Amino acid sequence: MKLMKKIVLTALVAATPMMAQVKEKIEVPYIPFPIKMGKGFDTVQANCLMCHSFGYILNQGRQPKKFWAGKVNKMIVHFKAPISDSDRKIIVNYLFKHYGNGKEQ
Amino acid sequence: MERRDFFKKAAVTAGAAALGTSSLDAGTTHQPIDNRKVADIAFPEKRPMITYSDRPPLLEAPREVFTSALTPNDQFFVRWHMPDIPTYIDPDKFTINIKGLVKQQLKISLKELKEDFEQVEVAAVMQCGGNSRSAFTPTPGGIQWGSGAMGCALWKGVRLRDVLEKAGLKKGAQWLAVQGSERAAYYKTPNFIRELHLDDLDDHVIIAYQMNGEDLPYLNGFPVRLVVPGVYSDSWIKMITDITVTDKYQNLFFMDKAYVIPDNECECETPEKHAKKTKPIWWMNVKSIIGYPNDGAKLTLKSQTVVRGVAWDGGAGIKEVQISLDGGKTWDKAILDSGKLGRYAYRTFRYGFKPKKLGEMKIMAKAINKLGEEQPLAKDIKWNHGGYKYNGIDVVTVKVV
Repeated sequence: MKLMKKIVLTALVAATPMMAQVKEKIEVPYIPFPIKMGKGFDTVQANCLMCHSFGYILNQGRQPKKFWAGKVNKMIVHFKAPISDSDRKIIVNYLFKHYGNGKEQ
Repeated sequence: MERRDFFKKAAVTAGAAALGTSSLDAGTTHQPIDNRKVADIAFPEKRPMITYSDRPPLLEAPREVFTSALTPNDQFFVRWHMPDIPTYIDPDKFTINIKGLVKQQLKISLKELKEDFEQVEVAAVMQCGGNSRSAFTPTPGGIQWGSGAMGCALWKGVRLRDVLEKAGLKKGAQWLAVQGSERAAYYKTPNFIRELHLDDLDDHVIIAYQMNGEDLPYLNGFPVRLVVPGVYSDSWIKMITDITVTDKYQNLFFMDKAYVIPDNECECETPEKHAKKTKPIWWMNVKSIIGYPNDGAKLTLKSQTVVRGVAWDGGAGIKEVQISLDGGKTWDKAILDSGKLGRYAYRTFRYGFKPKKLGEMKIMAKAINKLGEEQPLAKDIKWNHGGYKYNGIDVVTVKVV
């Protein structure tokens, strides 16, 4: 009987790893966010997508140029994204054209 | 600040807020965006949720989740900051490093965490400081959350204090820097690190490895995360790898630039003139959300209806939830649950009534905590540039048919 118990216990312990909730690498799905195409898109894709999805851009809603300029600046100053000055201008113009509200500030 | 000092301080702040003056150029606040649809795609270990981003993953729970005191793990909100998140962690090899001003550096395995320390549980609300950010105009940068960047779980783990005690603190130890496993695309990007003062640690601050009786989902920080009851979730570091004890506070981007509010009595500012002095967000304010009915729901005339929802605060505890069916003219007490999950958990509330008139109707919920602090109307909340700490009275508009 004692032996029996021991066997049952061993079986339980051995089974534990098999009970893991996640047994292998998780796969985070890819979401094709409906980003607008247009002048400057390649630059946006090359720079912004390094760190975050287009969901971040779409979620902000339509915003003034100052808002978008501030956002791109934040990526450069605080998050240290290596965005050149010419790319910065292209990105801000793209964002304002497609996700702007027509106002400068 | 000592945790016990909070209750004194919070009472003073509540009084001061009422004296705040309005200004013409002030930002405005309103109901947050509601009724966003859950996505078609489910993320690992999650049901489909409102999805803002896949990299890093940002997931919000829909309103109907907030009728029960504990939020299911697979509907618990997700917020990461960096694009690179480990997608596999071997529980047998994972360790947490305790280093810095300690007598003995430790590498604690999950097994040791579960066997060598006293195991404790705490039910606590985890809410993003930017929850309901979409209530602010002009738009503060950041994710425009509705009201579902939150959840409440029963967390199991070990006291952070006990872990530090085992390592032994050296003379001069004051601060803890807690770091998780997410990584930026660029080396120069600031890491997501949170500083806690040793005085902030009471028995409720734990390193948790279990959530509602299960492993933490990966997207909620498997295998271990920090649980800091009463405090906004930017302090609840996920996938903890390092805890470094120091004598000095290190200036950190996420604490000193990102998750901050004006350091003045109303914690407010105007879009034109941001406050010069800021402070990291910390304690949660009093808030409630209606889980049922949702905005746009149809109710049946003269049919018994039960409004349900959850209320919480930073740990003083909920005293009362009131419901208004007439646009805020009169308020009536809702029934609260027993509160057996403790002062850091959601208190569920319910309120029964019969709709007596056809057409549109507004249902409002207002929570009051044990310090007498109550939720303001959305329009009375003052703007801040990060869009943090929104706690307006929740309103759903339904149709009686």
